[in-house]
Amino acid sequence: MTGAVPLLSDHDRLEARRLIESEGLRFETDADDIVGLYEGECLVATGSRAGYVLKMLAIAPSQQGGEALGELVTLLIQRGMDAGHETFFVYTRPDNVTTFERLNFRLLVTHSMAALLEIGPGIREYLDNHRALMRSGKNGAIVVNGNPFTLGHLHLAETAARRVEHLYLFVVREDRSVFPFDARFRLAREATAHLSGVTVLETSRYAVSAGTFPSYFLRRLDDAALAQMQLDVRLFGSVLAPPFSVRARFVGDEPYCATTAAYNRTMEEVLGEYGIEWTQIPRLAHGDAAISASRVREFLGRGDLDRVASWVPPATMAYLRSPEGRNVIRRLAGAGEGR
Amino acid sequence: MQIRRKATAGTSQSSDLMVVVEPSDTLSIEIESTVKKQYEHLIRVRIQEPLARLGVTAARIRVNDRGALDYAIDARVEAALRRAAEE
Repeated sequence: MTGAVPLLSDHDRLEARRLIESEGLRFETDADDIVGLYEGECLVATGSRAGYVLKMLAIAPSQQGGEALGELVTLLIQRGMDAGHETFFVYTRPDNVTTFERLNFRLLVTHSMAALLEIGPGIREYLDNHRALMRSGKNGAIVVNGNPFTLGHLHLAETAARRVEHLYLFVVREDRSVFPFDARFRLAREATAHLSGVTVLETSRYAVSAGTFPSYFLRRLDDAALAQMQLDVRLFGSVLAPPFSVRARFVGDEPYCATTAAYNRTMEEVLGEYGIEWTQIPRLAHGDAAISASRVREFLGRGDLDRVASWVPPATMAYLRSPEGRNVIRRLAGAGEGR
Repeated sequence: MQIRRKATAGTSQSSDLMVVVEPSDTLSIEIESTVKKQYEHLIRVRIQEPLARLGVTAARIRVNDRGALDYAIDARVEAALRRAAEE
């Protein structure tokens, strides 16, 4: 057996797909990189990378338990580092956890259906970088995408901040939304600057990310999505919440999106296990419509900026009038709906 | 030796290690190892040898070890350092 090699031709990738599907995995088309391992002419192992997530790792039965996985992971990580990533996730079945731990992956979270592990500086570096923001006490948290930040988000933050000693407003780091992360983060910060007990910080890969909850960005609600929600919420409860002394998580009720509504229900069911109180706060309404970022994007797509002005804080409005904001509006007008 | 860029050496294979070296103002060594509990202190000493030999005083070194022997650690660290110094 020679070392792992990138699979570049359509023929090689078709073979990889056959191997992936014969191992009972779903072939997905979003890979940035596919590598494989040959014995003679025969592909005996394959693995892929989409961004920082390693996936579709499939090894023929004859090669299992050997060095095939180490070969695949070595090449995927080397090439992933060349593409600028430092930390890599793998999402797998709970019975594979020790196999990955033997490669020095660190278990982040596991439950009956799935497990999430990482390799690289990862969560340790994230927590080290945020050490200065950690406070003791009975603190609360909100996780928002803020695409873009609305008066609804602001209302949620204000209401939650009154009920806890300190509120952490986590902004989803994943850059898969029409408003870029930098803008979403800045607007969340500007809109809440007047609230003294609120700290805005980013989630990195550790909440609602391509690694923990990719279905969120696809608006997909199937068994895979439900398993991801479990992992995402349990990761929050066990890894993200304790260092910030978060004892309460607040969400806005979700009348529009079934995926987010299911995510809220998962939180309600699971967070208690981690000693975290879950509170749903009724959405702020304007007239008879509940304010939501997805409706704001709809209005923007139709060019209805006047309607938007009564739904978003001044910071968001100023951004929408900037050249950068006008670019986003153009994208909304041209393309379909996105997260 | 001056560390100018990020570089790697080695693999995630059994009995090998993967080393990542990148520029930093200080010297730091982070070790992940399947035998960390028993041998972390010895692995650290092994990593320090090529650092001292090549005169590296500022770098961030990350090591992912799967039970490599001393000479493998030495060779992989030196290779990563030389690549990172753009020799």
